[in-house]
Amino acid sequence: MRLLTHNMLSCNIKGVTNGFPLRLEVEKFVEKEVDFSAEFLRNIFPKIEWKALVDAARSMGYAELPDEADSSMLDSDDFLKKFHHALLELHLEEGALICPETGRRFPVNKGIPNMLLHEDEV
Amino acid sequence: MFFNVTRARRYLHQSHEVFPSLSGIVLSVGHLRTFKSMTDFQEDGSPGFSSLVSEGGLHIQKSISVCHDERCSFSSVQSTPDIEKKYVHHVYDAIAPHFSSTRFAKWPKVATFLNSLPLGSLILDAGCGNGKYLGLNPDCFFIGCDISAPLINICAGRGHEAMVADAVNLPYRTGFGDAAISIAVLHHLSTESRRKKAIEELVRVVKKGGLVLITVWAVEQEDKSLVTKWTPLTNKYTEEWIGPGSPRVRSPSSLTLESISETEENSFGDCQEKQMSNKHTHLQKLDGSVAYENWTNNKNQQEYFVPWHLPYHRAEVSGESARALANGLAKKDDKKGAVVYNRYYHVFIEGELERLASGVSNAIILDQFYDKSNWCIILKKT
Repeated sequence: MRLLTHNMLSCNIKGVTNGFPLRLEVEKFVEKEVDFSAEFLRNIFPKIEWKALVDAARSMGYAELPDEADSSMLDSDDFLKKFHHALLELHLEEGALICPETGRRFPVNKGIPNMLLHEDEV
Repeated sequence: MFFNVTRARRYLHQSHEVFPSLSGIVLSVGHLRTFKSMTDFQEDGSPGFSSLVSEGGLHIQKSISVCHDERCSFSSVQSTPDIEKKYVHHVYDAIAPHFSSTRFAKWPKVATFLNSLPLGSLILDAGCGNGKYLGLNPDCFFIGCDISAPLINICAGRGHEAMVADAVNLPYRTGFGDAAISIAVLHHLSTESRRKKAIEELVRVVKKGGLVLITVWAVEQEDKSLVTKWTPLTNKYTEEWIGPGSPRVRSPSSLTLESISETEENSFGDCQEKQMSNKHTHLQKLDGSVAYENWTNNKNQQEYFVPWHLPYHRAEVSGESARALANGLAKKDDKKGAVVYNRYYHVFIEGELERLASGVSNAIILDQFYDKSNWCIILKKT
């Protein structure tokens, strides 16, 4: 699971109002190279909850992202490369995503999150 | 190519299904009546029914539902009905690799839609199956989800971003995607409110101005002989289910079905079968409690079991088939050398997809069309 995906995920248990961002429980992560596209990054940037990305990247040992970011930084190659790396090249392979409100664990195995809810959570 | 493809890896199946023992099916149709509007499965748990008034006669369909002894398990539109657990989820889990091997042809209309999206778009595929469309447009980023873990395993093995999730309740922040697709998914949802909810979810997860493409199987199949190989699911029982253990096996009414091949089926050689030799497969027993009588082929028939033949050598790979055979959810066909599963479908009638989509307040219909036996619609979030 890449952090771009993580930035979209939210706990959808019935009644939960504060299900984002899910906290990462990292047992195993890998880094996989991905082709760089500045245009793609510029399109995605407005969607991103920056703090969630920073925290998630940090939980996988990557602390190069600035604490805050604005669109003017998209002109900086250096910034784009760091953004690219955090967003697309860090993969959570084994671990879990934890709902900030309920503590519910959504397991991640072989890079695949299982977000299915139980009967009583729906 | 925008994104590198990684090596295949297997996914540890997260077992999330336990089949509750069925205690029966509750039917509450008093007597055959004519209804002007479609009513749906009631969310308070009491089974409702949907009906269609057809010209020249009455046709009642039942949204097949199952209740436990005292308490109905359907307290929410997002709760999965048993018929979907047994005849959609479980089947796809069992047939995943074989199913995936037959899913490679990309529909031109879907490809056109995906390739028309702007560079750098984030595209969400809800019910992505084996990930056939993920990455189709190399300038876009795809995130897929499916309820079937084995199918998602195949997606991930191809290097795609994918997760196990429910299309009726997407675990996504609102407005994140640039576009969304739902290709041959909604016809597996057994109630109108669930089908509508799935459409609402697709609209919810895209940004304002974002596009949604939905395709579903049509009642109006181009190859009419195909439909006759499906098992129509209807009932004309008017009394309440009185409890477990009372088999309601009825002999099938005589049908005027011609032999058919199976839509979307793995091609299985000569599919000519006499209708009467299918007699036993038409009696779908859910844990021995209810059988569905064959109905005279009615052009308004929308609920079906569509068979999937899983060749023996494929079935042996997973232990699922042994279990399914033992449970009565699948049957052996020695003549074809395959385990036969049934998939639940609610095929869409002309105008139905449009009607459902019109009910979504924050979307407008940009386009709708019929393509290769599918009804298709493109929505835009307002």
